Amino acid sequence: MGEWIRFWLVAVILAAGIISFALEVLGVFRFGYVLNRIHAAGIGDTMGILLVVVALMIAAGFSAVTLKLLLLIIFMWLTSPTSTHFLSMVEMNTNPYLEHHVHRRAEP
Amino acid sequence: MRSLFRRWFYGESDPIDDLLDVARQEDLDRQTRKNISKKNIREYEARPEARLSVERMRKRFRWIYLLTAIVCCVFLSYVLLYAVSSLPHLGELNPRTEEVVNRYVEKGLEETGAVNIVSGMILDYRAFDTLGESHVLFTALICVMILLRIDSKNQRKGYEDYYTIRSDTYFDLSHDMILRTICRALLPCILLYGIYILLNGQNSPGGGFSGGAVIGAGMILFSASYGMKTVDRFLTLKLCNIITFVSLAFYSFAKGYVFFMGANGLDAHIPKGTPGAILSGGLILPLDIAVGCVVSITMFGFYSLFRRGSIGTDVDYSRIDNKSRRLRKTGGRKQ
Repeated sequence: MGEWIRFWLVAVILAAGIISFALEVLGVFRFGYVLNRIHAAGIGDTMGILLVVVALMIAAGFSAVTLKLLLLIIFMWLTSPTSTHFLSMVEMNTNPYLEHHVHRRAEP
Repeated sequence: MRSLFRRWFYGESDPIDDLLDVARQEDLDRQTRKNISKKNIREYEARPEARLSVERMRKRFRWIYLLTAIVCCVFLSYVLLYAVSSLPHLGELNPRTEEVVNRYVEKGLEETGAVNIVSGMILDYRAFDTLGESHVLFTALICVMILLRIDSKNQRKGYEDYYTIRSDTYFDLSHDMILRTICRALLPCILLYGIYILLNGQNSPGGGFSGGAVIGAGMILFSASYGMKTVDRFLTLKLCNIITFVSLAFYSFAKGYVFFMGANGLDAHIPKGTPGAILSGGLILPLDIAVGCVVSITMFGFYSLFRRGSIGTDVDYSRIDNKSRRLRKTGGRKQ
């Protein structure tokens, strides 16, 4: 019974992670503007990684591998949003036609 | 017009065909005129029958071109297929080709002292090849420096806007709080991991190239998050040159000593150490460090040269800085 609960838990979480990866790929290829694409890519880089790695942690049981996978989540959650933030800042600073895509608040 | 239509309707003539013919003839004339010299053009225009002979010659030459191409293709295919046919089959035990591989696998640990056979191969058996690769990296850095370096001699007047855009102060996002905080947490891990890969090359997968690449990437991240000026405090062009030169010279002298002392390092008297320890593998660890230094300096040098045209502060950025500060006040971009 316990094995079955674990199997279905892993299956559901893994499927959710794969769905978020699919959404990421769809968004990256279907959106036209860079900020929209970054937004779509961020879904998979945070949500997808979290779900898939948590499913793997449950599947593998508690061992040294669990800690390594936890380290993977921490590393990805630190680096991926930072690079997204950096990319969007470069776009904001360098694109002269930003008003065509983005509605900016007036600076105080 | 009407008669033309009637003639075309009754099949007497085709106006489009005539037009095409004329165009083709003009094209042909231009081509033949390009092929023959000026002196021959006069003869060619004087004698109408010369046109025929030139066209015949062009046809003959086309035939020769075709034949030469076919002969070359068939010959090359034959040579390549012959070479392929003498290769051993996949998975077949062939003493002619397997000898070297078996030697590496069987005697590698004993002769080089390295648990990682790949490391023993590229830094002991084939160290000369790795020396060439390090020099290739060094040469690539020199070429990029020749092309992209800005110093006081080639800093052109009147192009300040161009250099303002290129200078690191314009796109510098190192004042960003998020990036700085994340990098403060991550950079020690990245650099430490790179040093671990570098020093543990003889025991586990890794070595000079991969460890040097990780360290170089960490330094690029450092310069992106803390600003080029922070890196300039400890890494100048002179230091880069000294590190690269000392690494390559040490590599050359150490490996030259081993090569000239006798076959397979028999008389070199370099202690192998116990396999698996950090100080083992004879010359592999020092050579790994040398290669890692060259690789990391090359990676960071590429980044620095492509970003602002120099390694270290040998350019007077004060003027450019003032201008870019003015630009940043207007929203960070030109209006």
